[in-house]
Amino acid sequence: MEEYLNKGIKEVISEFPAVDKILEEYGIGCGPCSVGTCLLKDIVAIHNLPDDEQRAMMARVAKAIYPDKVIPLPPITAKKETAPKELKYSPPMKTLVDEHILIKRWLALIPAVLQDLDLTTEEGRHLILQGVDFIRSYADRFHHAKEEDVLFGYFDPNLDILKVISQDHIVGRGHVKAVVEAVERQDKETVAEHLTAYRNLLTQHIKKEDDILWPWMERNLTMTQIGELYAKFQETDERMGLSTEKFEHFITNLEKKYQS
Amino acid sequence: MEAFHGCPGSRMMDFSQKNVQASEEPTGKIQSQLRQWPIQLHLISPLAPYYRGADVLLTADCVAYALGDYHREHLKGKSLAIACPKLDEGQDVYVEKIKAWIDEAKINTLTVMIMQVPCCMGLLNLAQEAAAKATRKVPIKYLVVGLQGEILQEEWA
Repeated sequence: MEEYLNKGIKEVISEFPAVDKILEEYGIGCGPCSVGTCLLKDIVAIHNLPDDEQRAMMARVAKAIYPDKVIPLPPITAKKETAPKELKYSPPMKTLVDEHILIKRWLALIPAVLQDLDLTTEEGRHLILQGVDFIRSYADRFHHAKEEDVLFGYFDPNLDILKVISQDHIVGRGHVKAVVEAVERQDKETVAEHLTAYRNLLTQHIKKEDDILWPWMERNLTMTQIGELYAKFQETDERMGLSTEKFEHFITNLEKKYQS
Repeated sequence: MEAFHGCPGSRMMDFSQKNVQASEEPTGKIQSQLRQWPIQLHLISPLAPYYRGADVLLTADCVAYALGDYHREHLKGKSLAIACPKLDEGQDVYVEKIKAWIDEAKINTLTVMIMQVPCCMGLLNLAQEAAAKATRKVPIKYLVVGLQGEILQEEWA
């Protein structure tokens, strides 16, 4: 079992597809991950399941891997006990979660935007480029900069989960670049393909961060680090001087147009 | 048993029969983690050097007596002030001092530790009032301590 605990999740799932389903039942949705290099043992530890659930899940995983053997389960460590009651997000993490809300509102609009899209018109092209500006300025520069330039600096850069998150950012930027190029060619099909791929990627990405990465990071940050992070996030916002109102206005107007 | 109708903060209770396992007793001399003086909120200067950029712990007076490992688990690495929201007078000054911590001493974080008795919530309210008046924003966490030293609640304010 030790051997598989130290293997990348994608490798484990491709060899034993039943493991994907078992993990999913416990809220561990690693199946669609584009990278899948996180080790099985790290994934189990990072989700911080209650001990009895973790034991039950690992027993099922062991059974899926070794159906004919009884396997003693090694303890999964790296689990830092939290206070008696679960904490809500700390202020810096809440900042990131709150910024996700506007991004999710844009992601929710993408199918409707694509359905009505006419790239032969100036209006149609402008709409997509406004969406691209939202992604590049708000989601990437304003939001992801806090993650990559500040938050991730508090953790080991070799952590698989951080590599996965950073890789998502890179893949997302690639989709956006492809959208811009396709707008110039008035190629609606390619715009739709890459904007939809971006939507799917970011939906999973935000879920990974809100549900798993932020709570895990929070458990591993000291109170001093939480204070430093909050101050650095505010400094980053001030330095960028970006008005978020413009983007909120853009999303609200689109919602009125497509959801009325 | 007769129902108790008085103030929960003054209700008489006896925990003397509480069984403390030998293994729970720390061995050796416990080091104090206090790194400043004074500590009472009326006596401190919010601009004292040990508050500048610090993680500050604002503790209700009774907390350190109820909590067995207060020094090691909570006071360590922090700058301290203590107060009683029920008995202390002149609490407007407290609001101004907490605000000065945030805006002028530019503290890093504020942790407020209170007892579970209802009157103790007043200390958290003072901290929140000061934070609302302050220009800067800092993370504020509060912990509610049970009468027998258990942490009942730990939340971001």
